[in-house]
Amino acid sequence: MSNSNHNAGADILLDIRGLKTYFHLDEGTVRAVDGVDFTVPRGTTIGIVGESGCGKSVTAFSILQLVEKPGRIEEGSIVLNTGGQNRVDIAALDHDSEELRQIRGKDIGMIFQEPMTSLSMMYTVGFQMTEAIRLHMDVEKDEARDRAIEMLQAVGIPRPEQRFDAYPFELSGGMRQRVMIAMALSCDPMLLIADEPTTALDVTTQAQILELMQQLQEEFGMAIMLITHDLGVVAEMCSEVVVMYLGEVVEQADVDTIFHNPQHPYTQALLESIPRLGHSHEGRLNPILGSVPDPYHRPSGCPFHPRCTQIITGRCETVHPEISRLDPRHTVRCLLHEDPHG
Amino acid sequence: MTATPHAATPSALPPVETPESQEDMRLLVAGQWQLMWWRFRKHKVAMVATAVSLLIYFVAVFAEFLAPLPRDHYAADYTFAPPQRIKLILEDEFGNREFHPHVLGYTVEIEAVALRRVFKPDPEQVIELGFFVDGLEEYRVLGIFPSRKHLFGPKDPTQPFYLFGADKLGQDLYSRLIFGTRISMTIGLVGVALSLIFGILLGGVSGLFGGTVDNIIQRTIEFFRAVPSIPLWMGLSAALPEDWDAIKRYFAITVILSILGWTGLARVVRGRFLSLREEDFVMSARLDGVAELGIILRYMLPSFLSHIIASVTLSIPGMILAETSLSFLGLGLRPPVVSWGVLLKDAQRVQVLATAPWLLIAAVPVIVSVLALNYVGDGLRDAADPYSR
Amino acid sequence: MIQYILHRVLLMIPTVFGISILCFGIIQLPPGDFLTFYVAELSAQGESVPEAQIAQLERQYGLGRPWYVQYFLWMKNIITKGDFGRSFTWNKPVSDLIWDRIAFTMLITLLTVVFVWIVALFIGKYAATHQYSLGDYIATFFGFIGLAVPNFLLALLLLYYSLQLFGLSPAGLFSPEYQDAPWSVGKWIDLLAHLWIPIVILGTAGTAGAIRILRANLLDELHKPYVITARAKGVPERTLIWRYPVRVALNPFISTVGWTLPDLVSGSIIVSVVLNLPTTGPLLLGALLQQDMFLAGSFILLVSVLTVIGTLISDVLLAWLDPRIRFS
Ligand SMILES: Nc1ncnc2c1ncn2[C@@H]1O[C@H](COP(=O)(O)OP(=O)(O)OP(=O)(O)O)[C@@H](O)[C@H]1O
Ligand code: SF4
Ligand SMILES: [Mg+2]
Repeated sequence: MSNSNHNAGADILLDIRGLKTYFHLDEGTVRAVDGVDFTVPRGTTIGIVGESGCGKSVTAFSILQLVEKPGRIEEGSIVLNTGGQNRVDIAALDHDSEELRQIRGKDIGMIFQEPMTSLSMMYTVGFQMTEAIRLHMDVEKDEARDRAIEMLQAVGIPRPEQRFDAYPFELSGGMRQRVMIAMALSCDPMLLIADEPTTALDVTTQAQILELMQQLQEEFGMAIMLITHDLGVVAEMCSEVVVMYLGEVVEQADVDTIFHNPQHPYTQALLESIPRLGHSHEGRLNPILGSVPDPYHRPSGCPFHPRCTQIITGRCETVHPEISRLDPRHTVRCLLHEDPHG
Repeated sequence: MTATPHAATPSALPPVETPESQEDMRLLVAGQWQLMWWRFRKHKVAMVATAVSLLIYFVAVFAEFLAPLPRDHYAADYTFAPPQRIKLILEDEFGNREFHPHVLGYTVEIEAVALRRVFKPDPEQVIELGFFVDGLEEYRVLGIFPSRKHLFGPKDPTQPFYLFGADKLGQDLYSRLIFGTRISMTIGLVGVALSLIFGILLGGVSGLFGGTVDNIIQRTIEFFRAVPSIPLWMGLSAALPEDWDAIKRYFAITVILSILGWTGLARVVRGRFLSLREEDFVMSARLDGVAELGIILRYMLPSFLSHIIASVTLSIPGMILAETSLSFLGLGLRPPVVSWGVLLKDAQRVQVLATAPWLLIAAVPVIVSVLALNYVGDGLRDAADPYSR
Repeated sequence: MIQYILHRVLLMIPTVFGISILCFGIIQLPPGDFLTFYVAELSAQGESVPEAQIAQLERQYGLGRPWYVQYFLWMKNIITKGDFGRSFTWNKPVSDLIWDRIAFTMLITLLTVVFVWIVALFIGKYAATHQYSLGDYIATFFGFIGLAVPNFLLALLLLYYSLQLFGLSPAGLFSPEYQDAPWSVGKWIDLLAHLWIPIVILGTAGTAGAIRILRANLLDELHKPYVITARAKGVPERTLIWRYPVRVALNPFISTVGWTLPDLVSGSIIVSVVLNLPTTGPLLLGALLQQDMFLAGSFILLVSVLTVIGTLISDVLLAWLDPRIRFS
């Protein structure tokens, strides 16, 4: 089968297929993630981009089964390959099972957008860090403490012994995000999911945190899944990029291909919307022509067709495009690139 | 659409009041009531509770008509007579069954050992019941129109009719409960009205002026909230002169209840004032130079009225319970005034309870009215502000 | 933290002062003073009071002098000698009568607070984590009932049913055989066996309110990012709920308990009257009905001041439990 062939070369850590996560509200069903496929190779940084509301966070949350009611993973698989033949489908695990809990925080660490509220104000930094360490590593209290302090040191927190006993509200936003990173990495995960980790921080701190993540990756060798709005950051940090639109992945390729040879009209529009690549930290996505349709009324056919400049009139409104593989590691979901073999 | 540079310039100035914006304001306010009503209507339990509350107030207004007997009617022969069962079908001596609502009279035996009277239903004494029957005494509907009619009762008003049983004076508990409704429910209203006056005055002053005045009033509120209310109420009402008549006592008790009751409302008023002070349309009115009082009357009052109504509704049950508790202890209202608390006082002693457990029926209207008003208040609050939780 | 406590204690002083003025007002309101009553009472029994004693009492309580002098003397006697005045119905110093009663009131109130706390914590947590489930609706409904039924009614119902079903009255705090017995293990056990009844009755309304508050607070907290962080770390769900959101929701809850204290004390007075418990309630009511004002006023004063102190303690506890306040 073609799907398994292309993976043969690269060492895939996480393989997401046909993931659907819906929110069942009184007003109707929001199909936040509606058939997402992408893969995360071991040890690389992969960027996830797309306009606000396209389902990036929901995808990330689904990976650890953190989506709360009324949300639900409806379909799809999230296969984690922890090494050798060790594969687990996270989507199939029970939401409070021991197996899932062992993946959370141990194999996959996660940091969030809001460092100000992501830590509990009721417990010390040390308590919250050692809690994770002692859950996943067979260590005594003081060993856990040593490990936590070591991690605090690694993320560049000055005087880590003292910070260990501090409460989060005594730290600045940047420091808290560092604590979050230290906590997420304390059990040596294979994947770090970072959902807009710098959005809430000021510009200088943003740069520092991103630099820290890069440096930690070199040191620890984990893969990073970086969700961001900032294409400049993507260019700097990522080796691969996943572009999402309305709950679907429309294009995945390595960073050079995305920036220099984008194939999906949406990716192209996205790139045109930023003035000068790489030079601007203001590289947030400017709105592309038109606006994101409201989640209850998904367009028929290709969801992007109302805004697409290259629309094939007559087809794009009715036919939902399949994924086409242009290269072993370049996929596109657009009728312009239809696989001749279907 | 891309905006033209000209149109993109944001207007930093507050909107100037024009006749047009006044019109908007009226729409806004009207729209608010409308919205509130829609939200309230969705709250099924609150709707039912509203119907129940209105019914209870209806009973309070037309007590004379609804009660089969006058308030103070007593009959020593029927001391602690138990409740009678209403039977709808009457069988005559030939076995013909006919629709004739009736109750049975009593035969009385004296129990030799305990020396107490035991009432038994007497099949021989059929007391026929009817709708719109003439009662013992003339009364005035709404205090104006004289009438003798009662919604239902015995066709011969001199015959015993004790739907809920009798108390130690042979008074009809059912009738007295209906009369008690008037006192208990109005004491809630009057007490809350008084509290509201205190609350709006002090809370408004507190919220409008802020600073030292606010501070002092806040401390006072805290003071009253820190002190247990029942002992204070007890102390104050026990200090009322013994020789005061029923009316004086009634008002004194409402005043005493509202002395501690205003704090909750004052807090709500103050909170609304504080938050409204900051709202855009008030700011813009202020910038237009409309005087402060004008601001209050025109803009603030209607928009927080909804909150006040909700809070007022929620504080009536507290008043009702307080009056019931005080009267129950014998420190609140006293006979001949009849309130639910006064009626419950009869049930205070275990011995009486053992003889006449039906006296506890007086608890039912207390619970029903408090529950209903709570649900109405909850519904109103949700409707007034769906986001305040 | 010390500063915070000091601040709170300082704020308490005007409150206590206000209470004392109010109580003194209550004492003074009825016409005549206790001495007149006392003399009248004794002469009605055919006894006469020696002139010297009347003069001595007049001096001691400043009778006949302006009210503020009387107030000052009253306070001075309380603070320096623990002398609250005299009860003319009992013909005893008030201080001989009130302390065990106050102690029982405090014991019952304290235990009720613990009861309310524990029950509300578990039910509130359940209702919040099972929002819109049958259990949640039942908890909410009982919450409303608990608020609507005044606790003296509950006491009456209980009295009636235990009379009907078991033919005995649950009133009092001791079985007859222990009533006047000295304190022993048996007496304590007997006390506990009786205590739960007033505690449950008193606690119902408070529990209902506390459940509502805890449920609402917890619903606010359950989906906060820090909870998701903890879940993403692999903390088991049960531990997680108790350790994170419940811990935060507890803070407003503790302060709630602080300001339900006045209500609990109020309730305990009236329930004690119904259940005839040897607490403040029956004696206070008796004193008020007979206008034995020194006794009544002293009860109200002590009960209120102790309530204020209780509220203060719960506030301090809250501050101490919340690191954000503790460190500021
Ligand atoms: N708890 C929720 N309840 C209902 N709908 C939700 C919920 N969370 C997300 N959604 C919906 O899912 C869709 C995707 O949301 P998501 O948060 O994943 O977007 P995003 O790509 O992360 O956007 P952003 O860049 O703003 O973070 C949105 O349309 C949103 O309305
Ligand atoms: S499928 Fe059609 S509408 Fe969709 S992106 Fe491709 S060309 Fe545009
Ligand atoms: Mg997001």
